[in-house]
Amino acid sequence: MSQFSDERGAELRELFFETAQELLQSLNDEALKLESKPGDPEGGRSIRRIVHTLKGDAAAAGCRELSELAHELEDALSVETAGPHNSLAEIAFAAADTFGEMLSAYRSRAKLPSSAPLRKKIRELAQAPKTRKSRTKKPPAAPAAQAVWTEYEKLAMQEALNRSQRVYQIKAHIDPGCGMPIAARQLLLKALGEVGSVLGTRPEAGSTESTKQFQVLLASDKTADFLVAKCRIPSIISQAKIEPIDPPPQSKAQRKPKAATALPAPKTGEKPEATIEPQRRLDETGQILSPSSNENEGIAKPHFALAENTLRVDAERIDNVLNLVGELIIGKSMLQQAVNEFARQYPRDSMRGRFADAMAFQARVLNDLQRSVMKVRMVPVEQLFRRFPRMVRDVAKQCGKQVELVLSGQDTDLDKSLLDAIAEPLTHLVRNAISHGIEPVPERVRAGKPSCGTIRLEAYHQGNQVIVEISDDGHGIDVQKVRARAVERGLLGAEEAGRLSESDILELIFRPGFSTADEITEVSGRGVGLDVVQSVLQRLKGKVEVETHLGKGTSFRLQLPLTVAIIKALLFRVDHRLYAVPLNAVAEIARATESDLHRVDNREVLQLRDYVLPAIRLGRRPEEHPDRGSGKIFILVITVGERKFGLLVNSLDGEEELVIKALDDQTIETDLVSGASILGDGRVVLILNLAAVIERFVKSRPNSAGGQASGLLISQSGLARIAQTSTAVQP
Amino acid sequence: MTSPVRVLVVDDSALMRKLIPQILATDSSIQVVGTAMDGNFGLKKIEELKPQVVTLDLEMPGMGGLDMLKEIMRRHRLPVIVVSSHSTDGASVTLKALSMGAFDFVAKPSDVSARMPEIARELIAKIKAAAQSRGVPINASPATVAPANKLLLDTKKRPTRVVAIGVSTGGPQALQYVLPQLPKDFPGTILVVQHMPEGFTEMFSRRLDEICAITVKEAQSGDLLLAGRALICPGSRHLKVKRLPLGDVAVLSDEPRVNGHRPSVDVLFKSVAEEFGEKSLAVIMTGMGEDGAQGLGSVKAAGGMTIAQSEESCVVYGMPKAAIERGYAVRVVALDALANTLLAQCMQDRKPGVTAEPGEGRKGAGAGRN
Repeated sequence: MSQFSDERGAELRELFFETAQELLQSLNDEALKLESKPGDPEGGRSIRRIVHTLKGDAAAAGCRELSELAHELEDALSVETAGPHNSLAEIAFAAADTFGEMLSAYRSRAKLPSSAPLRKKIRELAQAPKTRKSRTKKPPAAPAAQAVWTEYEKLAMQEALNRSQRVYQIKAHIDPGCGMPIAARQLLLKALGEVGSVLGTRPEAGSTESTKQFQVLLASDKTADFLVAKCRIPSIISQAKIEPIDPPPQSKAQRKPKAATALPAPKTGEKPEATIEPQRRLDETGQILSPSSNENEGIAKPHFALAENTLRVDAERIDNVLNLVGELIIGKSMLQQAVNEFARQYPRDSMRGRFADAMAFQARVLNDLQRSVMKVRMVPVEQLFRRFPRMVRDVAKQCGKQVELVLSGQDTDLDKSLLDAIAEPLTHLVRNAISHGIEPVPERVRAGKPSCGTIRLEAYHQGNQVIVEISDDGHGIDVQKVRARAVERGLLGAEEAGRLSESDILELIFRPGFSTADEITEVSGRGVGLDVVQSVLQRLKGKVEVETHLGKGTSFRLQLPLTVAIIKALLFRVDHRLYAVPLNAVAEIARATESDLHRVDNREVLQLRDYVLPAIRLGRRPEEHPDRGSGKIFILVITVGERKFGLLVNSLDGEEELVIKALDDQTIETDLVSGASILGDGRVVLILNLAAVIERFVKSRPNSAGGQASGLLISQSGLARIAQTSTAVQP
Repeated sequence: MTSPVRVLVVDDSALMRKLIPQILATDSSIQVVGTAMDGNFGLKKIEELKPQVVTLDLEMPGMGGLDMLKEIMRRHRLPVIVVSSHSTDGASVTLKALSMGAFDFVAKPSDVSARMPEIARELIAKIKAAAQSRGVPINASPATVAPANKLLLDTKKRPTRVVAIGVSTGGPQALQYVLPQLPKDFPGTILVVQHMPEGFTEMFSRRLDEICAITVKEAQSGDLLLAGRALICPGSRHLKVKRLPLGDVAVLSDEPRVNGHRPSVDVLFKSVAEEFGEKSLAVIMTGMGEDGAQGLGSVKAAGGMTIAQSEESCVVYGMPKAAIERGYAVRVVALDALANTLLAQCMQDRKPGVTAEPGEGRKGAGAGRN
């Protein structure tokens, strides 16, 4: 069928890889739950259901090996349903790992990893003595070994016995050196046919097995010895074994039809009671059926919250749409200008109204469009958080520690690209917290803490940022130790080290190659350090902060912008140039005059009601400024983290939602600007990176060259550069 | 063509919720109106979207498939097609669903990706049949007969007649209705071809055996055709019969598919006609397609008795219709009269040219819809 082309197949596989990841995640979740509540039958059922779905999906995607393995596991688990095994969670974890490895192998078209360890576990599970029950599983014994005669053949056997003939079962091996195994078979049958009647043969002629050995059911008056001699055909039959049958064999291996037992049983005292045995077996299978089907009726909690009608789209495609929306907005403003021009030239033309209506409609739709695309990019951090419980469990186990993970704020939305970017750093921090933060049990007990350590992973909004915070209640970071280590490593001079404040010392842990861990463990300390965490955060225009209390614990705060794509911004002018800051960062807007500014310690500060704010001047100081006469300014009170500053601006230009266009390093060198945006009328606005602005302000030595200190954007060659930038991004 | 068949897909696998609509989209007369990930959502969507047919996965979290099926049967009476996995448990749950009133099922074999086109065709055909069906008759489940009541089969007692039954969609329910009504000393022997994949037939045979007074088993080659016994043809084999000096036996074969089916009803009917002639009695029952129609003709031509299930008692009036239209059905019998008819036919000591009622054979022939 052409509908299922390769392309379709590839698409299906891609979808499978994604959904399978989710299934594995659920598998991990359920296993964790089961581990905390061993013996919970619901947990076992959920696991089985997940494995079941995985099996079906894998088969549909053509991942046969995975499907088969899942099938084996599912079967083993269904035997299990009566009383969950203790090791069930363990197996689920192992399965999730193996399945995961197989998936990535499929994905990269690499060689599949060995599934032998998992298979072994599955077998153990399936053969656990308590699970034996009475399930009539086919015994593993090779079925070819013992021929199973049909009812008719048994009937014939019976007839022969009734005629007081003897019945033999002859097992003949064809000589491997014999070149014509089929002829060999016929030869022997012919020889036997001369001395008795062949009632049946196994296996069927023509099957591959039949070229090696076969069995004959023979009714004859002759003795066994005579028949053995008859079978001796050198270089054709290598071996022949003869068993007299008397009474007919009752092979237990085969599930016997009831009718078979009713066949007259000669000589022996076998009475019709014999029917009871297979009958009961059937009953038992009947009973097995009911629990396994009942379980589907049990109302289970949905084990993973997958939204209905979810569509999976490559993030890049959404970015594309977003870019196009940005272009559209520019197009709209061009159109608007043309319409305005038109209106000026032909003020009485009736088309004016129609243009205006169309423009208004278009603007509204465009607005909605933009908003919708923005929303598409946001995903709950849950997607990232859910991988941690399993990881914490594993790492804690490895380290021999007891750790409980507490998650909160999973429904906080974050831009998908940010979420992906912080996955690594966050993983690293969590590992660190377990291996370095949380103390071993004895130490905790000595310190009077609960033996089980706690790691908290929280996400929440703060202003225009999303904070992801990871904290542990371990022994905290020993600042003195950090100080000593820094000196030892030559990062600091001893004298300088003594002068730095605690928080400055703590900053050192983000330096490359810095580790206070006394030993490198397998879990962490593998080269990726906090420096990587910090560099990732910087790239994302975010920040990482650390807070620690010796003996009480450490917490890392990852501060992230809400989205990389859009901000609600306040537009303002400094020296006639247009800038924007994220509106969320603006706590308040006040008016002031130059005379409200005071100088303290060579820095400008501002008294606002009853508190004093450090003031940051973006532009030139009024004395350098030609129109110093007005003296009226606006103060934007900005909060960044814990700090508050007053941003001095000349005029306000309203608020707007800005589509951030990233500026590459060639366009702009300063980190004070986080991006640019194009307004509806085509004007370019630069968006300030407040964190960087403040950092620059704090670092600039107040005593050095007075006036140059503030006027950040204008100082040095900044102005020229930014001016270039503005023209560069102009459409 | 009229407006497309509205289908709701209920499956907990996101992949299947994508794949099944994709498959169905290849046929313009089917429209997937929605998907749901469990029974609760599914029931809501039935209210909302008013589908005509539901495809249902039985293994789901939350409200599972069987619960949902129960509700659908109670409240909506919609035809449900179970999309079933191919495993021992899958078979047993699927059969349970069928006995609860599911219209039919499609099994996903383990090599589903390789056999996709085939499965796609099957699913599309079954959905169309479901949309045209008159709804699923719910027959009271017969009481389970204590197995101890069963008679031991006697190899010496030859059956009076060889009853061959061919059935497809709606068959599990119909057979579970008819066979339990036969007495333990039923004098004929029964052979059944039910279109059903491997594995399912074994489970189905066991289930029938539990609820029937006669003995039911999945056929193996060499099984004897005994009075009071029904042999069910295993999936993906053909069932034939053979007369041998010591008794009559069933023979399984792996010959190619006939009419797209293995087992094929035609193969069974023709073999029975050949071996047993006027001693044969062929019954064509509910199901899609035409499998068995020709075979029924062979039985009739060989002097055997032929019966077709009546239109109003069929879930899908396809196979019986094909046979009736060709004039091969000597009698047309409603489902609830079938057990008695079979009993009466087998009690009669094989009078040749039996009580043919030729007028009846034509009944309903023109009434088929298309």
